[in-house]
Amino acid sequence: MRNKFTSLLALTLAFGIAVAATQWTLQPKQSKLTFVANQAGAPFEAVFEKFTADIKFDPKDLAGSRFDVKIDLNSVNSSDGERDDTVKGPDLFAVKQWPTGHYVADKFTDKGAGKFSATGKLTLRNVTKDVPLEFTFEDGKDGAWLKGSASLKRLDFGVGQGEWKDTSSVANDVKVKFALLLKK
Amino acid sequence: MHVKNSETQYGAVAQLFHWIIVGLIVTQFILANKVEDLQGLAKIPTLALHKSVGMTIFGLAILRLLWRLANPVPPMPSDTPPWQRVAAHVSHWALYGLLFIIPLFGWLMSSARNFPVSWFKLFTFPDLIAPNRPAYEFFHEAHELLAATLFYIAIVHIAAALKHHFIDRDNVLRRMLPVKLKPPAN
Repeated sequence: MRNKFTSLLALTLAFGIAVAATQWTLQPKQSKLTFVANQAGAPFEAVFEKFTADIKFDPKDLAGSRFDVKIDLNSVNSSDGERDDTVKGPDLFAVKQWPTGHYVADKFTDKGAGKFSATGKLTLRNVTKDVPLEFTFEDGKDGAWLKGSASLKRLDFGVGQGEWKDTSSVANDVKVKFALLLKK
Repeated sequence: MHVKNSETQYGAVAQLFHWIIVGLIVTQFILANKVEDLQGLAKIPTLALHKSVGMTIFGLAILRLLWRLANPVPPMPSDTPPWQRVAAHVSHWALYGLLFIIPLFGWLMSSARNFPVSWFKLFTFPDLIAPNRPAYEFFHEAHELLAATLFYIAIVHIAAALKHHFIDRDNVLRRMLPVKLKPPAN
């Protein structure tokens, strides 16, 4: 009786572990989250120095996979203090009111050859909109690399109030890029 | 007027380089002055235009120098005193040098502040150096100081041209214009 119970328990656990997508741990020092914006025709890159990423991912269990990323918007760094202050200000990120950006993706599609796409929701300035992702996933001996990008329009989230609504000097289109190193 | 320089007059190409660059330099001073009075977002389009015009000057300066090296220039009037010869050579080569260094420092300054330089929104120049605030401040100061130097040399250059025209009554100014030269006064 005890043997049956133990083996049933073991089987349930094994089944449970096999079905749940892998829970990964972000390696913050090697990971990068950036965005590219366009100023008067010239693209410039800015990095978010602080963010967390709760990644559950398994190419064989896309249904159980989930990305939950929280971005400290105050940690934006475009290599220019004056521009960073403007970006954090009330007309753009408004970090005093909404210090965190939140992205959750829970629907994944395998596009073959290590490429995937996901649909998810981004919340910025208390506005939530769908933002799809394209990414690659490569599991190696030093960890797994999750790399990809997303495109969004800043005005969709109200990033650009007052004179900053004008897109002739600062484009509406912004590209977000990420390269995350994950370990089990 | 010929395309290339003759013994007595600058050709069409040299004249176009000269006067187009004069026009662009005047534009640059106007734009730079305008930016001083603007704040925040409003600065962006004026600065972008200043950078595009600046890189145009830089490109034209390269072509102009190549043309200059490949083409003999009309000699100075035979009675030009030695000190004036030296002054002319020094000021002209200084102007050529500044046509390169001023936009180059502008490009460096933009690179150092991670504000890449776009040419009329058509393409973007690569950044020359990594973001660095002290470097930005140095190149900004130097860019402005050299622009002021260019301004003062240009004043002297214009004054000398007018002296040749109204006092010496020779062809020195005329030969940089698309006009017929007058026979020498003596």
